[in-house]
Amino acid sequence: MKKKRKLNGGARMGFIFTLPAAVYMLIFIGYPMIQNIVLSLKNVDVYSFARPENQVFVGLQNYIDLFTSNNSILVTAIINTLVFTVCSIFFQFIIGFALALLFNKKFPGCSFFRGVTMISWLLPVTVAGLLFKFMFASTGGIINQFLQGLHLIDQPLEWLLQPGTAMVAIVVANIWIGIPFNMMLLITGLTTIPADVYESCSLDGANKFQTLFQITIPMIKPAIMSVLTLGFVYTFKVFDLVWVMTKGGPINSTELLSTYAYRLSFEEFQFSQGAAAANVLFVILLIAGIFYIKLINEEEEIM
Amino acid sequence: MGKKERRSQITAFLLGAVIFIIFIFPLYWMVVTALKTQVEIFEIPTPLWPRDLTLEAFQDQLSASSDTLRGFKNSAIIAVGATVISTVLAIPAAYGLARFRFKAKKALILFFLITQMLPSTLVLTSLYIMFSGAKLLNTYWAPILADATLGIPFSIIILRTYFLSIPKELDEAANIDGCGYWQSFFRIMLPIARPGVVVAAVFSFVYAWGDLIYGITFITDPNMRPITSSIYNYVQQYQTLWNSTMAFGIIAISPVVLIFIFMQKYIVSGLTNGAVKA
Repeated sequence: MKKKRKLNGGARMGFIFTLPAAVYMLIFIGYPMIQNIVLSLKNVDVYSFARPENQVFVGLQNYIDLFTSNNSILVTAIINTLVFTVCSIFFQFIIGFALALLFNKKFPGCSFFRGVTMISWLLPVTVAGLLFKFMFASTGGIINQFLQGLHLIDQPLEWLLQPGTAMVAIVVANIWIGIPFNMMLLITGLTTIPADVYESCSLDGANKFQTLFQITIPMIKPAIMSVLTLGFVYTFKVFDLVWVMTKGGPINSTELLSTYAYRLSFEEFQFSQGAAAANVLFVILLIAGIFYIKLINEEEEIM
Repeated sequence: MGKKERRSQITAFLLGAVIFIIFIFPLYWMVVTALKTQVEIFEIPTPLWPRDLTLEAFQDQLSASSDTLRGFKNSAIIAVGATVISTVLAIPAAYGLARFRFKAKKALILFFLITQMLPSTLVLTSLYIMFSGAKLLNTYWAPILADATLGIPFSIIILRTYFLSIPKELDEAANIDGCGYWQSFFRIMLPIARPGVVVAAVFSFVYAWGDLIYGITFITDPNMRPITSSIYNYVQQYQTLWNSTMAFGIIAISPVVLIFIFMQKYIVSGLTNGAVKA
């Protein structure tokens, strides 16, 4: 009898311990999310913002406008975001994986070098963005000077002022920021492989590439999958870096879903349209998020 | 150690060193630029090391009339506030989710996982309207309350793994000794989990310190701006004053760099625990 009461008490205690944080997140994330859906179905702009009596429901009109209106660049923003995300992840992952393989070995200075590369991930993105804006500057920028020194270009490029190269610049900056994240998670994956697996491999006479593709990659597949999906989610919603480096320009060539949603709400004061654009971003992330959560559950069941 | 092994170690060291140099170069360049004169910055080719080493840019940024120190102070208030809220809420939540079985547990873990992935733009407009109604715009409370939402989910996830790793027998023994749930939580679990709490707090602080979007949206008063927002505005105004901008940037990143230097080991373990084991 007493034991049973204690168990029930335990369940209640667990809930009580968790409740404050859950309520906080419901107030400051859950409620605004629902409000954002409501807002996206209304006509709130700079005129009706302060006059609730003028706000009416317009159904899906904001979404229809975003996808079809000539003034809307939503489709461009989706494509830009995909290009930005796929390019960033591709290089972050490849470089991060190569570094993980290197730093997983023990050699003098290993933990120092590995540790220092972590810092780019922790820096305030605003400052990292400004730093890269300066390095990519057409006059005084070190990247132009470097490329001219190698005779790869004759004239200084106006990186951030031309559509194609502006995208390259923000992707390069984002790769620098994201490599440590990829590297650390992959190193954690690599440390789970028992050493005797490699030993038996080298006894069988497998070369390094065979070991990599037939042993290492299959064995850390769970880590690889979570790096890729988490990387997708984190990259797809990047805002600060692009806002600081290009503000979405030139001619919308680096406008991402996040910057577009922000611009609509806080530069054009089309609050409802901004809300709708943010919801489009959310739906895409949600699909990736569900994929990730399914992945974790599968892993937990195996363990 | 065999000869072959030795050679592979040297190769690895050299590779590591090259990667280190490439990786650290942007930071090196930030420091060097901050120590140069404006003339040297625009010289072609610009020198890789300043000839006339000058601290002028730093002096300008640190003078009483500049936005830098004010921004620093504002960011400190906002980040500490957000860290306190986030840590105080996350510790019991992580404990509850690690130690007890209850119906809503799985749903709650999932809820926190999802909130960690949400883009700020999704809640930004609604929060703006909410804070505007509560008269919290242009106060420290608006970014504090919003920044805490960045730290809470991550803190819960890493602290939960921490509590899970503490043997259950410990709190069972405490219960037998007559400790209630609260007592065993405060007297036994919390002291053991201290390293985990430090990691959670550090991450909450770093997230809040680095936030730009909430800062530029909720605070328009130049005297209240956090440092990320003031450096952003500074660059809009003084486009090509790169030595001053870089000095500003160095001051803005200094707390994070110090934290990184002193707590690197904890941060690495926190990052991997938080993201992989979830």
